[in-house]
Amino acid sequence: MNIKTAFSVESDIREAVADIRQQLGGFEAEMLVFFASSVFDPERAARLMGDAFPHTVTFGCSTAGEIVSGRMLTHSVVAMAFNRDSLKGVKVEVLENITTGNPVDKAFDAFERHFQTPPAAMDRKKYLGILLIDGLSGAEERVIDRIGDLTNINIAGGSAGDDLKFSATHVYANGKSYTNAAVLAVLEPAGPFSFIKTQSFSPLPQKLLVTKVNEAKREILEFNHKPGAIAYAEAVGTSVADAPTRFMSNPVGLVFEGDPYVLSPQRIMGDSMHFCCAVKEGMELNLLESTDIIADTKKALEAARSELAGISGIIAFNCILRTMELRQKGLSDTYGELFAGVPTIGFSTYGEQFIGHLNQTAVMIAFH
Amino acid sequence: MAGNIKRLIDTIITQRAHGDKILEGTVKIKLILKGIDPKNYTAQSDDDPVVMGKLQEMIDEYKLNAEG
Repeated sequence: MNIKTAFSVESDIREAVADIRQQLGGFEAEMLVFFASSVFDPERAARLMGDAFPHTVTFGCSTAGEIVSGRMLTHSVVAMAFNRDSLKGVKVEVLENITTGNPVDKAFDAFERHFQTPPAAMDRKKYLGILLIDGLSGAEERVIDRIGDLTNINIAGGSAGDDLKFSATHVYANGKSYTNAAVLAVLEPAGPFSFIKTQSFSPLPQKLLVTKVNEAKREILEFNHKPGAIAYAEAVGTSVADAPTRFMSNPVGLVFEGDPYVLSPQRIMGDSMHFCCAVKEGMELNLLESTDIIADTKKALEAARSELAGISGIIAFNCILRTMELRQKGLSDTYGELFAGVPTIGFSTYGEQFIGHLNQTAVMIAFH
Repeated sequence: MAGNIKRLIDTIITQRAHGDKILEGTVKIKLILKGIDPKNYTAQSDDDPVVMGKLQEMIDEYKLNAEG
C-alpha cells in the first residue's frame, strides 16, 4: 500500500498525534496531509505534526468536521500519507497575506524552480495542486483566479473551517500554523489521478442575470435589473421574508454544458443578497433545485473508480452545507459509508475550490 | 466594428488549450468566472471597448499572440 490513512479521536492533540504516528509506524511517508478539528490548538497541532514527521512534507488545515474511510467524524485528526512509490515529487508553498497581497506569483516561481517547468507549460495530466485556504479570509476568488491565470494544472481544495464558530481558521505547513494565508501544494503523483466535482442540484429554467453587484462584499444588489432579494424570491415563488428557508435547497449556479457551479446565498440584507462566494456582473445564473446527495455522490465515485480502474486514495473537500444537510437528514453514516474500502480523508469546508471558488459541492482528488 | 470580442476569446481558448478539449472547457469556465461568457459573443457582436480591454489584458498576461 503506497497511500495510507490514519485518524485519531483522542481529545488531547499530543495523544492524537502520537496515535497517528503509531498507526503510520514503519511507513516511509514523503508527504502527509492532515485535517484537524478546530477544538485543537492550531499552533500545537501544526508543530506536533511537524515534529512527529520530521522527514516528511506535512501540511493541512483546521476543519468543520472530518472524513475518513467510511466515516464522518468530529473533533478528530485525519491524515493521509504518501510514500515514494505513490509520489514522484511535491513542493509546498505558504501564501501569506492573501487578502491584500499577491503571493501566488512568488509561489509559482518556487514551483518552476522545483519542477524545472514553467507553470504555463505544466502538464495537467502529470501535475495537480492542492489548495488549503483560510476560510474566513474572503480571498478565495482572487487566489484561485490568479492560480488559473498562471497554470493549466487542476487545483482542488477547500477553505479551512472552525466547527461553525466563524472565529478563526488556520492552515498548516511544515510545523507552523497560519491565518490570512493559504497552503498550495503541487504534486507529481506516480500514477494516474482524477478529479471529482459533485453537487446535488439540477438546473431549473428560471434565469437570474446578475446586473449589479458589490463584488468585494459578495453582495448581489440586482438580478434581472430588480432588487436581488425580490428577484430571487420571485424565482423560487415565495416572499422575501420566506426566501432564506429556500437557500439550502435552491441555491443558484453557473451552468456550463449542463454542469452547475454552485453559488450559495448566505443572507438577505434589505433588498440585496449576500452570497458565500463572489459573483460578477453579467453572469447568467440558473436557479437550482436539490437532488439526492447520496445517489449523486455514489455515482460520481463509481465514475471515478471506473475511469481510473481502481482508486487507492481519495482526498475530499466536502462543503459544510452538505455536511449540515446530511446531519439534518440523518444521512451522515450513509454518506461516510460511500467511502468505505477506499483510503480516504477529507473535511467539511467553508468553500471548495475547483477552477473557481464554489459552494455546496464536494471536490475530490482520486488517486489510482 | 463587430466580431473582435469573439476573435479575442477564440485566441485565448485556442492558444491556452492547445487542442485539449477538456482544457478548452476549463478556459471557458475561467472566462465566465471573470465575467466574460464566450457563448454571449458572436462574429456579429459589437466591439465593447471595456470587454475588449479585459480580454487584451489577459492576452498580454498570458503572453499569447493576439493575431491568432
